[in-house]
Amino acid sequence: MIRIESFSFTYEGEKAPALEDITLRVEEGGFAGIIGPAGAGKTTLARAVSGIIPHHYPGDYYGRILVGGLDPVDTSLTDLSRIVGMVFQDVESQIVSSVVEDELLYGLENFGVPHEEIPERLETALRQAGIENLRERSIASLSGGQRQKVAIASIIALRPRVLILDEPTGELDPVSSRQIFAMLKTLNEAYGITVIVIEQKIMLLSEFARQLIVLSRGKIAYQGPAREVLSHADELLQLGVNCPRVARLSMLLSERLGKPLPVCVNLDESEAQVRGCLHD
Amino acid sequence: MIELKNASFSYGAGSTVRDLSFTIDAGEFVAILGANGAGKTTTVKLIDGLLKPTSGSVLINGKDTAVTRVSERARQVGFLFQNPDQQICRNTVREEIAFGLTAVRGDLGEDGIRARTDEMLREFGFTGEEEPFSLSRGQRQLVALASVLAVQPEVIILDEPTTGLDYLECAHIMDMISRMNREQQMTVIMVCHDMEVVLDYARRALIISGGQLIADGPVEQVFRDEALLARSSILPPQIIGLSLRLGAGFEQVTTAEEAAEAVLRLRTGKEAAE
Amino acid sequence: MRDLFQYVPGNSLIHRLNPVTKIFLTVVICVAAFITDRIPYLLFLLCVDLGIGFAAGVPRKALGILKGLLRIAVFLFVLQALVVRRGTPVFWIFTDTGLVTASKVVLRLIVVCMPLAMVLAVTRISDLANALVQVLHLPYKYAFTLTTAIRFIPQFLEEMGGIMEAQTARGVEFDTKNAFRKLGLMLPLCAPLLISSVRRSEATAVAAEVRGFRLRTRASGYKQYPFAPADLAVLLFSVLLIAGAVLI
Repeated sequence: MIRIESFSFTYEGEKAPALEDITLRVEEGGFAGIIGPAGAGKTTLARAVSGIIPHHYPGDYYGRILVGGLDPVDTSLTDLSRIVGMVFQDVESQIVSSVVEDELLYGLENFGVPHEEIPERLETALRQAGIENLRERSIASLSGGQRQKVAIASIIALRPRVLILDEPTGELDPVSSRQIFAMLKTLNEAYGITVIVIEQKIMLLSEFARQLIVLSRGKIAYQGPAREVLSHADELLQLGVNCPRVARLSMLLSERLGKPLPVCVNLDESEAQVRGCLHD
Repeated sequence: MIELKNASFSYGAGSTVRDLSFTIDAGEFVAILGANGAGKTTTVKLIDGLLKPTSGSVLINGKDTAVTRVSERARQVGFLFQNPDQQICRNTVREEIAFGLTAVRGDLGEDGIRARTDEMLREFGFTGEEEPFSLSRGQRQLVALASVLAVQPEVIILDEPTTGLDYLECAHIMDMISRMNREQQMTVIMVCHDMEVVLDYARRALIISGGQLIADGPVEQVFRDEALLARSSILPPQIIGLSLRLGAGFEQVTTAEEAAEAVLRLRTGKEAAE
Repeated sequence: MRDLFQYVPGNSLIHRLNPVTKIFLTVVICVAAFITDRIPYLLFLLCVDLGIGFAAGVPRKALGILKGLLRIAVFLFVLQALVVRRGTPVFWIFTDTGLVTASKVVLRLIVVCMPLAMVLAVTRISDLANALVQVLHLPYKYAFTLTTAIRFIPQFLEEMGGIMEAQTARGVEFDTKNAFRKLGLMLPLCAPLLISSVRRSEATAVAAEVRGFRLRTRASGYKQYPFAPADLAVLLFSVLLIAGAVLI
């Protein structure tokens, strides 16, 4: 779905490249998580895949990106956004309406979805996001988590094949954060949308994302299945990326017991692993 | 010492807290927990007097916040906001740190202020000539923290200090605060969504739910009360969650280290029995 | 103050009026307030404003707006009364002409500002933009700029409030009673406010573009905004308001 080959980008007026020699693939139907310390180039990568780079941010662009077969350089942002939906870090700046329903209508109207199709699209998106009950609500009266869901719903109403989210849970409490990830999981598994999410909460990423990409100083430090990437816990810590404590426990146990154990990414796995260690 | 006596605050349909009563002694490290919209920020703003209680009272060192001005209290109580951009208003990091000092530490004199600014710059690893708005979000948060800590407040209030920070920046900020708490008895009151951070640093936890205080106790004890956590939409830190599931033999476990040791202990116990 | 401009969902007669009708009525009230020179008629217009607020089911909002405006009004009243030196003195240095002129100025201010603020409370912002495009054939770009600017007001106020709060907490005397001193303290804060506003408007532009902003045409709008009998009734009422202002 997404292919990036030896991509480098330097913002106009900057000396150091924001991203350097990035090569990666996200398959159709994949769920990829991007993590890395501040200034690692996470947002730049999201902008490049969604085409906001180079259309809104000029600079030196090397290498090649293909999104669903389209090259963002030759494709207008509008055409690209038919394939890639982007949910921005600052939800407030993305919202254009005062009522939930209108927010979903906005993109549908713009892209010229036939008017007879609109009610169905609207209802489907509200259902997929699990916010049917908020349809008539004023956006100002919603909580942070609800607003985030509205922002995501307004993008999935456009039926993109790829959904990119830039720190969607940044200002949310743990329970609302999990709800957002559970929703992304549904969108990914039940509706086949490819999801790419930038996130600082490693616990959520390692549990939900199937592919983990660790960026550091504009380069890919590690990429692969979450379990595999997390097995480099000590190196990750050096880069400024923490690892979930159950993963750390797996590593401690495998060290102390002197036998290789898989790295756990959630409580269920960890519980089973510890019980296994006690009973063998 | 901070005392809240039946303090309530309501504003339209929005932020509301009811009947808060608790005391925070000098040198404590307290975390305030709760879901989005539970009233945590309102509570800390009441403590600082940025909001005045609509009924009840809030006392800082015996003085009612309703009669003293916030700007006069800035010497005693520092407040680190969630968004550093609302706090930063100068063109260089040096000016920014000196600005807060000049406002409340006139007693230090010009030389004293310069010396204190230099000290903070060294401590935080800034040259002083950086432009705050060209720094990263985490760096800006550090600038804001440096200018709050520079005045050496007796109490510091942190409203989600780790939002938007990566792990290293978060650890840097929390270690700095933790040291001031230990060495200078600075009282720390922190609103935080990251339960691992709360477990690592705070000693006492208050839980706010629907605008009311529903729990107050040592951090570990609060995190082991499953019914309470479910009621206030809080998820326990991972290893405590694990220890709750595993039960016997893991009751005291809070860190991955301790969990691994418990496993080894139980295994040797079993071998001995066999 | 922050929620002053926010939409209040509802299904009242006023809510259901065509957005263009609401704007027209607002403009008519403004024009009438400037044509008339009589205090009783201005008071009548004020009653019309409040009546609209009650009919729309947002009486608290209407009174809230009135309360906010009264604060500015008191200041303006004193200033105006002091400036006008004609007429016979009635009380201290105030003259009768001064007091009458000041009353008119203040009443006009309130009468004009109230419906402007209330339109936003009873009209969905996207309806406003769509109706301007469909009915008045305003290019969408301008309609979007207008509605975005309106959406920015509460965000801007919130940002300003947040900045002032943060500065107060670090010892800047924003809680002083002296209004001039407060104003002086606010000036240096314009830079951070400007920076965050520019950042936000850039983000808004990009976010709108990836949602097909450039594709939008007059026919894009899903909802239609036909004129109903109620709209005609309001138009008739508007004509009467203007006639009243001219004749009375």
